[in-house]
Parts: sequence; C-alpha cells; structure tokens
Amino acid sequence: MIWRVLLLFILLFIDAAHADDVLHLYNWNNYIPAQTIARFEASCACRVVQDYYSDNEEMLAKLAAGASGYDLIVPTGNAVESLIRQGALRPLDKNLLPNLHNIDPAYLNAAFDPSNRYSVPYAYTLTLIGYNREKIRELDLTTDSWAIIFEPIYLKKLKGRVTVLDSQRELLAAALKYLGYSVNDVDEVHWKQARDLIIRAKPYWAAFNASSYIKELTVGNIWLVHGYSNDIFQADLDAQKANRKFRIVSSIPKEGAVMALDSMVLQKTGSHPDLSHRFINFMLDGRNSAELTNLIGSGNPNRDALQYIRPEISQNPAVFPNRAQQVRLEMLHDLNRHQRRILSRIWTQIKLK
Amino acid sequence: MTDSGHKHTRAARLAKYLMGGPPLLFLLLLFAVPSVIMVLASFRYPGEFGGLAPLTAADPNTLQGVTLETYQFFFSDLIYIKVFIKSFFMALATTLICLIMAYPLALLIALSPKKNRNLMVLMVILPFASNFLIRVYAWMIILGPQSVLSQLVNNFLHLFGNAPVHLLFSPFAVLIAMVYVHLPFMVLPLYSNLEKHDPSLLDAAQDLGANGWQRFWRVTFPLSLPGIFSGSALVFIPVLGMFAIPDILGGTGDMLIGNLIKEQFIGTRDWPFGSTLSIMLTIAVLLIAWLAAKLGGHRGHYA
Repeated sequence: MIWRVLLLFILLFIDAAHADDVLHLYNWNNYIPAQTIARFEASCACRVVQDYYSDNEEMLAKLAAGASGYDLIVPTGNAVESLIRQGALRPLDKNLLPNLHNIDPAYLNAAFDPSNRYSVPYAYTLTLIGYNREKIRELDLTTDSWAIIFEPIYLKKLKGRVTVLDSQRELLAAALKYLGYSVNDVDEVHWKQARDLIIRAKPYWAAFNASSYIKELTVGNIWLVHGYSNDIFQADLDAQKANRKFRIVSSIPKEGAVMALDSMVLQKTGSHPDLSHRFINFMLDGRNSAELTNLIGSGNPNRDALQYIRPEISQNPAVFPNRAQQVRLEMLHDLNRHQRRILSRIWTQIKLK
Repeated sequence: MTDSGHKHTRAARLAKYLMGGPPLLFLLLLFAVPSVIMVLASFRYPGEFGGLAPLTAADPNTLQGVTLETYQFFFSDLIYIKVFIKSFFMALATTLICLIMAYPLALLIALSPKKNRNLMVLMVILPFASNFLIRVYAWMIILGPQSVLSQLVNNFLHLFGNAPVHLLFSPFAVLIAMVYVHLPFMVLPLYSNLEKHDPSLLDAAQDLGANGWQRFWRVTFPLSLPGIFSGSALVFIPVLGMFAIPDILGGTGDMLIGNLIKEQFIGTRDWPFGSTLSIMLTIAVLLIAWLAAKLGGHRGHYA
C-alpha cells in the first residue's frame, strides 16, 4: 500500500516537473515552422505550447479580458507599445541574449520600444500591392503607386477584381500615404480626405478582405490586392503548386507603405522567464530565423539569417527592400481611445456609402 | 389556478422549485446579469487598452466616473441609425423569404404519412451536422466567379445583352446565406404547429362549402399564426445580430449591426460604445416584438 502511494507521489512529481517545462507561446497563425519548434524542444527538453491569434486587436482584446500566463507573445510594434504602456510586459535580460547582435541595427531602437527594453525583432511584413502579373501586363497597368488602388481611371479596367484589407488602420494608412501624409497622421481633416478617396474608389473593389484574398488571387478571381507581403508570397506559392499560368507578385508603392515589425516580448504573468530567454536567443540564431522566412516569405531583420535564405526570397525587393525603399516605410503607432472612436465612425461611413 | 394552488402539497411545491429553479438561475446568470453589466458599462469611459476606464482614479487627470458620452456619440451622427435600418431590412427580407420557402415544406411534412415525417424532419436538421462556418465558406465556392452557377447566370444575362454580375461579395450573397442558415429555424416551429391541426376542421370546412384556398386561408393559416410568429422570431433576431456571414460573403458595403458591435469590442477596443449599441439593439428588438405581439393579438381576435 505504502509503495503504491509513494509511486503515485513520484508519478505526480514527474508530471509536475514536466508541467514546469512548458513554454506557452501566443503567436500568429503559421508563424513558426514545426521543425524549428521541434529542434528547440529537443535542445531544452521542454514542450512548446502555442495559442494563435490572427490579428493584434484580437490578441489585445483577449489580454484585456484577462488572459494570462503566456510566456512569450509576438505582437506588432503598435501593440507592443500598448502592452508596454499597460505594464503588461517583463523587461528583457540582455545578458541572456548573446545572439541579439545578429539583428540589423536598422530594426532596433524603434519608437515603440526605445533601446529594446522589452522587445526583440522577430520578423516583419509590408503592406503592399500584390497582383496577377500576367493580367496586369495584359491590361497595360503600372503598379508602382497606390493610384492603382484608389484612382477610378485605372480601376475601371479592374472593376470587381480588386480587394483591399478589411482593416481600418491599414486602409487608412494606404490612403494617407497616397495623399502624401504620414500613416500616423491623426488630423481629422486628413482622415476625411482619405475617407472620401476610399469612398470614391470603393465601387470598383470587390471586397474588404483580410483572409480569403490569398485563395482568390491563387484561383485567378482577384487580380489586384492591397495585402500583406507574406500573404502575397503564399498566394504565389499556391499558384505555382497548382500550375497556374500566372505569377502573383508584389510591389512597394513609390509613396511608401506600412511596415509591421513583429517582436518577441515576455508577458509579465508568464512563469518561465529563463526558458523564454533561451527561446528568444534560439530564434535569434540565423539558421533558425531563416527557416521562417523560407516557409512564409516574411521579412527578416536578422543579418545572420540572410545566408540561409533562399535567393529568390532574399533578392525579392518586396521582401527585402533596398535602403531607398526602407526610408519610405513607416510603422503604425497606437491610437488613443478618442481617435479610435472617430476612426471607427469614419469606417462605418465608408462601409455604408 | 387559485383552486389548484390550495391543493399543492409541500412536496409538489418543492418539486416545482427544483424543476423551475435551475433554468431560472441559468437565465438569471447568463442573461440578466450580463445585461445589467452591459447597461452599467455603457455609462463608463473606455479604457485606454480596452476594458473600462476606472470609476475612481487617484490621478485627477485620468478619465474616470460615469458619462452619457456614448449615447451622445450614438445620436450625434445618423450613420448608426442607418446601420440599424439596413440590418432590419436584411432581417425582414430573410424572415419573409424563409417564411415563403418554409411554409409549403412544413405543410408537406405535416401532411405526409406519419412514418415518413421523422425522416423528413431529420433531413431538415441534417445540415446542422456540419459546422456553420464550413457551410458558409462553401457558399464562397458556389457563388465564386468560376462556379457553374455564376457562369449559368452570366451566360443567361449575356443572352439579353446584360453585363456580367458578381454573385460573391455582394448583398445577394449575404442574403442567400442568411436564408440558407436560418431556414430550419422557420421550418421546425411551423411543422410542429401544423402537425397538431385537427384534420376534422378541414373536413368541416369542406362540408360547409369552402374550396381549397378558403380552407387554407380561413382555417389552416390562422391556426398556424403562433408557429409563424415563433419561427419569425427565431429567424429575425439571430439575423439581426449576425456578423460572420457579412464578414465572409459580404462586399464592400455589407456592414450590419453585428459587425459594428463586434468591431467595437475587438478592433476599436471601445467597450462602452459597443455596450450602447447592444442596448439600442435590444431596445429595438423589444419594440418590434411588442409591435408584433400587438398586431398578432388583433389578428387573433378576427380569426
């Protein structure tokens, strides 16, 4: 009897020890390759458990509603800013991150987290114009400007074949850029100009869409999108896999575009800070970091990773923009509650027109 | 009622509480309490990061306390009323189409031999076996520009010299999926009502010289009104709050109240205004239910 109880205790203890070595990662969908996770698990003798979100707002809303206990989160810059101001993050211990020097300094010290007290760059996406190369060529259109998304003279040829992101901030940012303003302009007059520009173009668009446009591009139903660089990359991969007679390519508009830098941060309520630092340091290794880029075509801020990235990706200017293009990229800042409410009303007006 | 009350023994009363208690508690916990929270939230300021601003804060510069600003904001621009009106028309159209399609079907099932009825009802319920979202996504394929349906429609339009139309990402796509998803909710209450009709009433009407149409319009239809009302409520109210279908199948203009409310809680992180919109929606639904009950009551008298 006593042995059984003892055995039970031992089993319980082993189980508890196991439970201690679980890293809780709250991440974007499909934002880390399975083999990378497997290698980390082998190296640390731990388990990585992932929860997923599909946009920052969803993640912030879940945390605001009290979700806790995540060790690591991978939010975009403006969401990092919001989390820092809420006091929801744990400062990093840089001594545990020797691989941090691999990050290109251009991506460090961003406005959302000066001197990277809380965040380590993970990957970035650009919001650009993606298109069906053969169709756009056939129609003799140029894609180097947001004009093709907003100007009826071009859109006439594309009626019902264009989708734009179903995101207030992203669409407003594109319109603001086209009008010559910053993506972070909060002047209500400028917002209204952007609104009117969007309303004028809207009849030519098929939908506001943030997810199924990848498939629609691949199938050939949609010819031009305002979308994320890695989605467009995915659409091209799928189109090639399906032996389509067209390629899906992207271009950075000359007016500039939004860059979303996703960073690894530690939630304050996470219970494995050491393991989390090991994970971050592991992901800062060029080889590991490159795997993600090779899988989904995301931008990579890691200098050491470049040598491991497939050349068709590393030489693609829409994934790795040159210095001249980099200057015209902007990251979104968080809006305050008043601005959010006004923007929501503008969005309602856009949708209802 | 009062007579039987005296006869109630203690045990019977206890049984009554035991049976009625849990559902009552359930309703109270999951409907009344959240509603009260919503009403209270609508008078607060939004928190900077979602949630609510504190009622009292040490720092006098932070927003705190209670306010009417969400209600002022709601009425400051007609746009929100317009979203409501649009959603009501969508819900009304869905309800009417469901009614027109469901009534003959329910009647058919009710008039079938008893042994077939269960099978037919099962077939009405069968779509529930697969997930709601998958069924909505399936419509993306059915309505997509390369689908057989789209090509048939556009070939037909072409014959008459009309320009091709896009079925997907349109109010039409939203309406069709709304009807598809909610049709069983109209069929089932109608069927359970029609099934109980006493066939001897129709025989009596026939004996008194009523023709087929008269028998339906003067006997069956008035008797089925309760079924129509409950079916309509089961369709109208969920459609009013639906956000997934316009999100997936809607075009650039298909925003309904459901989408607007969802956006307040997720994208805009403005819980007080989201609560205000929900309360306005509840008030509007109650108003409509009250109106319908009044109208229904009148009809009942004539019947």
